[in-house]
Amino acid sequence: MAQHQSLLEFKHGRYLKVALLLCAAAIGVYWYHEVPSTQVKPYGGSWLGYTLGTIAALLIVWLMLLGLRKRRYSSRLGSVQGWASAHVYLGTSLIILATLHCGFEFGWNIHTLAYVLMMLVITSGFFGVYAYLRYPELMTGNLAGETLETMLLKVSDLETKCKRIALDLPDEVNALFMSASKLSAERSALRGSLRRQLAGIDTAHPMRVARDRLIQMGKRYSGDQAKVQEQLVVEMSRIVALTDRVRRELRFRALMQVWLYFHVPLSFALLMALIAHVISVFYFW
Amino acid sequence: MDIQVTYITVNRRGQPQRDQQRVAGPTVILGRGTQCQIHLPDPRIALQHAEITVGESEATIKADAGRIQVNGRSVDGAKLTVGDSVEVGPYLLEVEAPPAGVPLAVSVKLVVPLASFGGDGRRFQLQAPRLSKRRLSYIAALGTLLICLLAPIAPDMLGYSTLQPATATRDTTEHMVRTVSDRLVQTWNPGPVSQAHQPFGTDCRKCHQFPFVQVRDLSCVACHKSIKEHVPVASLTGPKGHAFQDIRCAECHRDHKGQQMAPRAQDECAVCHRDVKVYTADPKTGNATDFYSDHPQFQLALLDADKPDAVRRVRQAQPAPPEMVERSNLKFSHKVHLDPRGVRDPAGRQDAKAKARAEDTRTVMICADCHEPNEGGRLILPVSFEDHCQRCHSLSFEPGAPRRQAAHGDVEKVATMLREFYARLVLGDVPAGVTPPRDLPRMRPGAVLTSGERRASLQAADQKANQALNELFTEQPEKPREVCIKCHQVSRKAGGAGWDVAPVRFARVWMPESLFSHAKHATEDCVKCHDVKRSGKASDIAMPDIAVCRQCHVGARPVEGKVTSDCSLCHKFHAGKNFWHEELQAQLQPRGKK
Repeated sequence: MAQHQSLLEFKHGRYLKVALLLCAAAIGVYWYHEVPSTQVKPYGGSWLGYTLGTIAALLIVWLMLLGLRKRRYSSRLGSVQGWASAHVYLGTSLIILATLHCGFEFGWNIHTLAYVLMMLVITSGFFGVYAYLRYPELMTGNLAGETLETMLLKVSDLETKCKRIALDLPDEVNALFMSASKLSAERSALRGSLRRQLAGIDTAHPMRVARDRLIQMGKRYSGDQAKVQEQLVVEMSRIVALTDRVRRELRFRALMQVWLYFHVPLSFALLMALIAHVISVFYFW
Repeated sequence: MDIQVTYITVNRRGQPQRDQQRVAGPTVILGRGTQCQIHLPDPRIALQHAEITVGESEATIKADAGRIQVNGRSVDGAKLTVGDSVEVGPYLLEVEAPPAGVPLAVSVKLVVPLASFGGDGRRFQLQAPRLSKRRLSYIAALGTLLICLLAPIAPDMLGYSTLQPATATRDTTEHMVRTVSDRLVQTWNPGPVSQAHQPFGTDCRKCHQFPFVQVRDLSCVACHKSIKEHVPVASLTGPKGHAFQDIRCAECHRDHKGQQMAPRAQDECAVCHRDVKVYTADPKTGNATDFYSDHPQFQLALLDADKPDAVRRVRQAQPAPPEMVERSNLKFSHKVHLDPRGVRDPAGRQDAKAKARAEDTRTVMICADCHEPNEGGRLILPVSFEDHCQRCHSLSFEPGAPRRQAAHGDVEKVATMLREFYARLVLGDVPAGVTPPRDLPRMRPGAVLTSGERRASLQAADQKANQALNELFTEQPEKPREVCIKCHQVSRKAGGAGWDVAPVRFARVWMPESLFSHAKHATEDCVKCHDVKRSGKASDIAMPDIAVCRQCHVGARPVEGKVTSDCSLCHKFHAGKNFWHEELQAQLQPRGKK
């Protein structure tokens, strides 16, 4: 048995089958009611609509319980991986269930708002599934056996080393490196804003800019000075390469988390819109 | 082939300490891993960072998973000679002069100690500034709840009366709350209301009077006062019959579906009409579930001319039942009138051949000559003698006055009119275009009559009038022309004074309950449904039966090339006699109390 099993392949796609069965049943019943032309078209208020609506609403509540289940380490109510697998497949089946529930009727109202919120939650969930399946592999490749911590240690060592080398060079070079080092720290380049974390590589990184200027300046030097300058360029390039890898690591970490900043708050908005939808429908029955 | 390795460390007092070791060659590995012969325990070092190989004459260093710099140059491998310095991560290796018997001696020194680096993992977790997922979730959830649910129902929760519009209140808070609520509650509307309900605009409570209570019939009949019941509530029997009377208007009439209310499903009719006896002890209709597959023959409403108030309901059948005749007291033949050679018509045409043979002029008649649709086009106007018959069937009574015709419809009027006509001629007052008959005595103009002469003259006129009346109303063996008796049943009154014309009644609406419209069938030939070409008698009935309708109409299930027809295409639901709001009022009276 493979050590790692994707949550999409959990128990040979057990919940994929459940979800497909659910969708097929819903489509079948809807089709059965759609056929005679003079029949009232199924919609939210027909018995078919009430049935599909109840199933979909209970499903949404259950899907949101994943947030509770994954925090209950002592729970024996199925494995979290099983829950996550069912979460993905049954959550996707909501697209069919909710669309048939409303009978393809949409408008500028809270009922369609709930539908749109649901679709946004599902879409962000799709990105989450993609991130969980794709990025760990890319992250392993990027780290190449190292960890974020060791890379950061190396950056810090290299900066110390560069400072020492720069001491042997003219003031202008020394000043250039020192300001780049200070700017990097000030910009808090490795943490950065959400936008910069997601961007991955910072082309305007002070160290990269300083390195490129140093290469230009290096043409003026000769002899030992040129050698030392070359050494500094090599070390600074290593810093830039390392920080790029760190950034890429941070970008993957950010991508693995950022979708949840949409998925979770939107799903709570959806829950409330769903409550409003159900109450409003019966309030003015 | 050993290598002498000297680890240089710094003791507590800052003095260097040398710790010499011998490791077995020829190849030794430098790295973080504990299996490495030169163990460099630092996270910045790779597991197997580099290796040193000692040969007979020379020693080399080669980078493995890590990077090395020999004398300041980044290299993959290099020969080691005494005095070389090799940077391995934070360590500095220096090649020293080896003691006798050892090919290589190196010293290892940690030159860049591990900084107290803030290795706090959480520092690199994604953090949207000041917004955690939890906080975002609260904002999204509470915002949605407020806008979508709490604000719209705020007036009810705060106990404001919604009977008056928001603008009518003087309370500022109430005005504001209700204005906002009225706007937001529009987002609850699941679809546009039907055109007929547009005047209610945005006032949900016009129909939805009470929260969590379905729209009640009283809301509907507040406006729809003239709506009739389906059947009298009193005629419903049995538990299912009583359940039927509790069906709300809105269960069939679904609004918020656009311009029109949602159409009714014929399955809803079939629930009761599959076996209507379950719902009423006295069914007035046969059972039916679908026009094509399960529908009885039509029932016609027939009239008897001799029983003015009676309507006979006769169901069509094959062969036709004996009572399927119209008793109109009229004599008429469609076959004669629709003769393809035409009927004799004084104002008709004739071709040259017919003219040469001195035949009568003729006209070929079509249905529309007599049967015209009414203003709405749904029904056919009644045939009238004056408009449709008289052109050919002249009521002239005096050959000398061909343009004078007897009035139609009243025997007494005709008698009076004739007497007055002949009296006028006798008295010498001859209108233009009239040639007085020769057998009528006529006084000379300007003569003064004695009373005896005058009486005799008028008697002669009356006699002539009676003769003419006799010719109109009775069969004249010597004269082929029939006037009244051509179409009517005429009998002499008891005592011989005058005639009785049998009253005429014929059906105009054969299926009074049906929504049939001639206008919608204008593309079809009349005879496709009304087969009158072989009908020789007025008692014949030419109403199509259900088989004729089914040539084009199928039931609720669509069939290519046919017209899909559900119950409501031909039937009215609210076809009862009583007003529904009166039935409701009766139901609302406390039961069981006298």
